[in-house]
Amino acid sequence: MLPALVRKTWRDDRSSLIGWAVGVAAFTGIYTSFYSQFQGAAELKQDALPQGMLDFLGIADMLSPAGYLQATIFSLIGPLLVLMCAITLIARTIARPEEDGGMELMLANPLSRAAFAWQRVAAAGSALTAIAAIPWILLMIVVPWIGMDISLSRVAAASAGLVALVWCFAGIAFLVGAATGKRGAVLTITGGLAVATYMVNAIGGMLDGWHWVRWLSPFHYFIGTDPLHTGWHPVELLTLVLLGAATTTAGVILFDRRDIGV
Amino acid sequence: MIHVDRKACPLTDSALRTVGLTKRYGRLMAVDDLTLEVAAGEVFGFLGPNGAGKSTTIRMLLGLIRPTAGRASVVGVDAADVTRAHQVLAYVPGDVALWPHLTGAEILHLLARIGPGTDLAYQDELIERFVLDPSKPARTYSTGNRQKVALVAAFATRAPLLVLDEPTSGLDPLMEREFRTAVTQARDRGQTVFLSSHQLAEVQAICDRVGILRAGRLVEVASVARLRALQRAEVTVAFTGTPPALSAVPGVETVEAIGDGQLRFFLTGPPAPALSVLAEADVTALTVREPSLEEIFLDYYGAEAAR
Repeated sequence: MLPALVRKTWRDDRSSLIGWAVGVAAFTGIYTSFYSQFQGAAELKQDALPQGMLDFLGIADMLSPAGYLQATIFSLIGPLLVLMCAITLIARTIARPEEDGGMELMLANPLSRAAFAWQRVAAAGSALTAIAAIPWILLMIVVPWIGMDISLSRVAAASAGLVALVWCFAGIAFLVGAATGKRGAVLTITGGLAVATYMVNAIGGMLDGWHWVRWLSPFHYFIGTDPLHTGWHPVELLTLVLLGAATTTAGVILFDRRDIGV
Repeated sequence: MIHVDRKACPLTDSALRTVGLTKRYGRLMAVDDLTLEVAAGEVFGFLGPNGAGKSTTIRMLLGLIRPTAGRASVVGVDAADVTRAHQVLAYVPGDVALWPHLTGAEILHLLARIGPGTDLAYQDELIERFVLDPSKPARTYSTGNRQKVALVAAFATRAPLLVLDEPTSGLDPLMEREFRTAVTQARDRGQTVFLSSHQLAEVQAICDRVGILRAGRLVEVASVARLRALQRAEVTVAFTGTPPALSAVPGVETVEAIGDGQLRFFLTGPPAPALSVLAEADVTALTVREPSLEEIFLDYYGAEAAR
């Protein structure tokens, strides 16, 4: 039996969880199933944009199945969508109930702060994982269905990267929320970090002598390895997962030690 | 499991104890060297104006914030050991916030699951008495309804100590009466009630003893009878003709003329002597004002106590 706090957290977040799930599913489904119709338009777009712009947007070529999936699902909008979901949901674990006072009533119960934090993050994290895995599940169905010529294992590798990326940023968002108790801080710091590290990965690859900065960006470990062409990169994925685990643990420790609601 | 049979453990006969409890935020002294003991079974009023440090003290008792110095214990358990300490207490915050998308019933269920143990039959009775509709989502509740959810949850526990922080601020007078009944019943069961308030009348009506906090300092621990002496009314009268001779009347203090044909004075104790003097004068208007707790404190303990 799951702890009551976990089940009630899901229940409290129910409507927004359903909303995000529907949104991510619609986005993945619609983009992928437009593959065949999109080919002509893609050719035009490719001609219209300068190469530097294409590199920055992560759309090297939109004609091959790998290039198309990279451009639509995995380069910009997909990560943006699931990261927005991650940041807003994680902001609800500690920062929001601390700001509006709803946490006080819970923490007055015989439940250690660490237990409270772990149960909240377990509830939000599991829901988040399910949402981030939606593109994975859908692509496993849609790709063979519409006859895209790409190995499912490679699609799975990129999809797993998306889940790992979400874990990494969810951990960072949780750390900020647990340490500050401020919802605004979670949104701006984590969001800012996501944008900055996305830029670092995108620009770092384009400037000679600056390739190394990409190693600082979580996006590099997610998509910089080009999983749609090269398949699984366990070390990179593990790096993201460990970063998420480390920041989450640090968040629980800091939360356990600070004053609440001041 | 913690046993809180009072007879079985006479050493922990105090329900709440603080020794030199202090909280400082930078240069601001929120709570200053607070030493207090509340006996088991007592209804203790924790009285002070807004900003006196009542909530800060309670948050230290709950282990939500760490004291700068000193310590606190509840029913013999160190307040910082929250998993054990919260087995023996239930808490109602001053400003109750609930999870918005859960219904009242779902929140009560959650609190009963993670709480120190709940008497579900008594909980149902309380829901009825407080006229709470538990089927609605918490986001639709008024301040008073949110407060009712927290009150029902706390009173339905069998925790030996109830910590209530300004619990009636959002309740209407009818519900305030239910609240007082619930406090009396808790006392009858042997529960200790620690009630923070800034309302003199409320504390007088239900408490056995009162601690008075001012600017972070405990200025006095008094019986309720002692507290009555604090209560005074500010009376303003307008009259025509000869001013009423109030100076020598018992209970009347600091008579002053404010403008033409107007007097102001403070009245303590029974008003009959003052009223009979006023009856003889040609009084055209009379207003009686209950001063706020802040004014009473300032008057009684003086500005010095604030330092």
